[in-house]
Amino acid sequence: MRVILALMLLFPLAGALFQALKGRSVARRVSEMAACLAVGGAFVFASTAFILGWNTSISLTFFEWIAVHNFRVAADAFFNPLSALMALMVTFVSTIIHIYSVGYMHEDRDYTRYFCYLNLFVFSMLVITLADNLIFMFVGWEGVGFCSYALIGFWYPEEFRANAGRKAFLLTRIGDVAFGIAIGLFFVRFNNTTISFINAHTGELQAGAATVLGLLLLWSAMGKSAQLPLTVWLPDAMAGPTPVSALIHAATMVTAGVYLLIRLYPVVSLSPTAMAAVAGVGTVTALYAALSALGQRDIKKVLAYSTISQLGYMFIAIGAGDLIGSMAFLLSHAFYKSLLFLCAGCILHALHDKGDIFMMGGLKAYMPKVFWLFLAGALSLGAIPPTGGFFIKDRLLLSIMNNPEDLFSIVWIGALAASFLTSLYTFRLFFAVFAKPVGLAVEEVRPIPRIMTDTLWPLAILGIAAGYLNLSPEWGGNEWLAGYLANIQGAVEHIGADPGLETQTALFDAALASAGVVVAYMLYGPRESFAFRQLVELFQAASGAALEGFYLNWIYTTVIARPYRRLAELLWVYADEKMLDGGIVACGRTLPEIASVLRFWTTGRISTYLGMLFLGFAVLACGFALSFYLAF
Amino acid sequence: MLTVIIFLPLAGALAALALWHKPKICRWMSFSVSIADLLLVASLSFGGLRTGSAGSWLLLEDHAWMESLGVRYSLGLDGISYLLIFLTALLGALSVLVSWKQIEEKVGLFHFFLLAMQAGVMGVFLATDLFLFYLFWELQLIPMFFIIGIWGHAGRIFATVKFVMFSIAGSLLMLVALVALYILRGHATGHYTFSLFMLTGFPLSKTAELLIFSAFLLAFAIKIPVFPVHTWLPDAHTEAPTAGSVILAGLLLKTGAYALLRFAFPLFPNAARASVPVLITAGLIGLFYASWIAFAQRDMKRLVAYSSIAHMGLILIGLAVWNSITVSGAVLQMINHGITTSAMFILVGMLDERTRTRDLAEMGGIWGQMPIFSAFFLLFAMSSIGLPGLNNFIGEILILVGAFATHPGAAMIAFGGMVVTLVYLLRLVQETLYGEPRSEFPAMWDITGREAAILVPLALAVLVIGFYPGPVLDLMQGPINSIVGGGIGRIAALP
Repeated sequence: MRVILALMLLFPLAGALFQALKGRSVARRVSEMAACLAVGGAFVFASTAFILGWNTSISLTFFEWIAVHNFRVAADAFFNPLSALMALMVTFVSTIIHIYSVGYMHEDRDYTRYFCYLNLFVFSMLVITLADNLIFMFVGWEGVGFCSYALIGFWYPEEFRANAGRKAFLLTRIGDVAFGIAIGLFFVRFNNTTISFINAHTGELQAGAATVLGLLLLWSAMGKSAQLPLTVWLPDAMAGPTPVSALIHAATMVTAGVYLLIRLYPVVSLSPTAMAAVAGVGTVTALYAALSALGQRDIKKVLAYSTISQLGYMFIAIGAGDLIGSMAFLLSHAFYKSLLFLCAGCILHALHDKGDIFMMGGLKAYMPKVFWLFLAGALSLGAIPPTGGFFIKDRLLLSIMNNPEDLFSIVWIGALAASFLTSLYTFRLFFAVFAKPVGLAVEEVRPIPRIMTDTLWPLAILGIAAGYLNLSPEWGGNEWLAGYLANIQGAVEHIGADPGLETQTALFDAALASAGVVVAYMLYGPRESFAFRQLVELFQAASGAALEGFYLNWIYTTVIARPYRRLAELLWVYADEKMLDGGIVACGRTLPEIASVLRFWTTGRISTYLGMLFLGFAVLACGFALSFYLAF
Repeated sequence: MLTVIIFLPLAGALAALALWHKPKICRWMSFSVSIADLLLVASLSFGGLRTGSAGSWLLLEDHAWMESLGVRYSLGLDGISYLLIFLTALLGALSVLVSWKQIEEKVGLFHFFLLAMQAGVMGVFLATDLFLFYLFWELQLIPMFFIIGIWGHAGRIFATVKFVMFSIAGSLLMLVALVALYILRGHATGHYTFSLFMLTGFPLSKTAELLIFSAFLLAFAIKIPVFPVHTWLPDAHTEAPTAGSVILAGLLLKTGAYALLRFAFPLFPNAARASVPVLITAGLIGLFYASWIAFAQRDMKRLVAYSSIAHMGLILIGLAVWNSITVSGAVLQMINHGITTSAMFILVGMLDERTRTRDLAEMGGIWGQMPIFSAFFLLFAMSSIGLPGLNNFIGEILILVGAFATHPGAAMIAFGGMVVTLVYLLRLVQETLYGEPRSEFPAMWDITGREAAILVPLALAVLVIGFYPGPVLDLMQGPINSIVGGGIGRIAALP
């Protein structure tokens, strides 16, 4: 198992190295093949590990990385059903996206840099997935942040793309600071920073420490998973190539935050405060992002806000104590959301990168394959029965409702509202793109390379079907996924609600989701001459704020970024050069003589200067001595 | 052996002076001398570095010198000084390569100063007699004065005078304190000596210890440099030629931190303990203040110079917390900073040679013109921000996590340094590499073979230390345990 896991990590890493060192000197085809093989190989090993490691839970060490005194960090792995499943998903989606990228990037000459970063990303993501030691996990954690930065700004000549990358790196790193502090606290409390050890010894944590740690972990997860208030980077991240958005900003990296919380759930769940905070953040974000998605005009931005909103659901599920629900949601979301992004990539490719959905319309006739694929994704995202997405979301909503805490009745209402909004914005997007009369952007439709559409079918099938893996007995399933994940610490296999209630809520959820589709049809459907036109116009007016993400970005720029830049200038010129430096130099010049140092140099009065500086420092040293004296 | 290592560069320096009229031969000669020195240092590790007979010391040399004054010529090599002289030899050789095209006037003289400085730095890292240490301390200063003053940029005179004034004022104060210590001990025991080993553990009166310690501290703090006596550094770096910046950032700053660890703390443990809160505060202020100011810089070299101050702030915190984890982190970080910051200065220098400017406002879009150069630039910038998997991260995490047990508040604040560091370095990367080119430069060429020979060893060091720091950390464990064990705060304080 050690070898298999090591190879799973080494393949993408070797791929990245190959691209960096040799990529430019081999034929394009070879470079592309190498990139896909590196990731495909990782998928093969992930599958092997999945099968061989069925229902086992082991921690193993690759090599000792840092060892000083009692601070010992190894490159290691904690392999259990959770990481097995995550690794399988990550490598599978990555493989598909690498193959898709061959088609997507076929006109770009800088493909080696692209594949190098992409392979490196897969490596980093697998490190997050497998690592046992939190500091080793941090390698992946920051590694994906770097790759995301480099790939968002991949088309660096355009300033706004580079800016978006930088913003993503900065905001996620604000979250990473909390990760670092949590590592420090874990080390002080446990003398150990491995997940398996910490989870096995949570009994030693006092309530206060558990709350602090839980909140720190939440904050680090919020950075990576773009939860409020650290959301603003994700919509901007759409400046990157679309396959990157699909892989990093929909399926994998952004779910790393959720994964971290599941991985360390035994710590988080110790503190009711932290759990309530997780659920609260998730709810507010889910609603905020769903509303913002309704206002977007750019196809990728709709999907980006949708991702933020769906990540909110995963947070809610964790807060409600339903790990399996959260993980199931994470998996099926990874499939259908990357599918939707990749479809968007096809559409943008065909329409010469014109992304305004209200300039599209009637695309069904031009790209029937994409239409069906997109429909599959939209149905799953909107949680329309009988797709798997529906059953997954149903379980999630049920577990919220079933939570006895008072807070969760509010959370439940929020989640329901967001659920309605989800299907509304999803089908707003769908109808605008495919159903409306042909729009302005559809003048010259480029053919889409076959490789870009044909590789998407597995995603479509999994997007719809992944949810069936966890079909409850009521619907004729056997909750396979729940059974598989039941052994991870803190998992609750069955929600344990009244069966009658279960049916009722399921019907209610289905009705709500379908209502979203109906409303979307009435507002944005093909028949424009509806009585709803007035409403549409009203809505469009209101959506100005939503389009801007409710001005959160503006607040950041004016309250933090600009003052930081201004103050840096002031600090430099006034504090450092005028006050400090000026003060010391003046001390050396003696006060009455305000002549330039250069003149001192030329008139040979260096000795005065030196003498005074010496005196000044002597005074300073005595000052030091005095201050230490008090602390002695 | 240690003597050979120190004096080989000095011999080379004299040879360079003799070859002053043949610049080409002079360059090759200097390069081979510094490579020979590097090989000598490397060969030490084959001689069984792990088996120290005298405690954690691997090699000791001791000869009578000025017997009547109690001054001895004594050198000592342990794991810490081994790593630092290795770095010195490496950066020494690279500095010759860096100056190959940049220095065209008075080539012999330049190499004389360069090699003499290398000898001085080696001496500082090896001396165990305080008088000898002081001599080497001053020896490294004078060549730098001339290197900046003669081969520097437009404002070089002012910068170099300021640099020397700060250094000399600090070291004169140290000299006074040194002599005071010498007399106090001689007076009390009847045996006058400058030996580090004999002076360690000598009980001083409270006031005397504090005063002498403060003088040492100030001299070292100026060199590190610690906020608020850092203001000489940005000017010195901005005006220095690339090799000067490499030696300054890579080595001279390290001598300050090294001296703090080797001399100031072990000699005056009580005073050192009292100073911990002040030092940690100064380190934290340096980290944030310098990072913040770095963000406003337009001159690339000045930006890197301020980043140097910020990084040294973290090293100071690691030393001040004073347990084996943080001190290991601090020593490793000295090496890392030597590698990464030198590389940044070299890259800026290379760009300057092509564009004749270091103004960020004129850069942009370099990636399109020099992809290999840019990849190196990105790698070293990422190393500088402490991206895990690269060298700086190891040192930083050791300092930060190690500090948690005793100074949780400071450690938490210092973690925030991750963000402010990222802010200015991403700005540097973006303004330089990304965007559309903002100016037309007549000739842009990607890195040459000579430049690759400079950058590849540094890049390898970044990756190797990042992925597998074990051997480096093992090397410093022995000496660190013996130094820290006898100092303020034992490791037993950790949980």
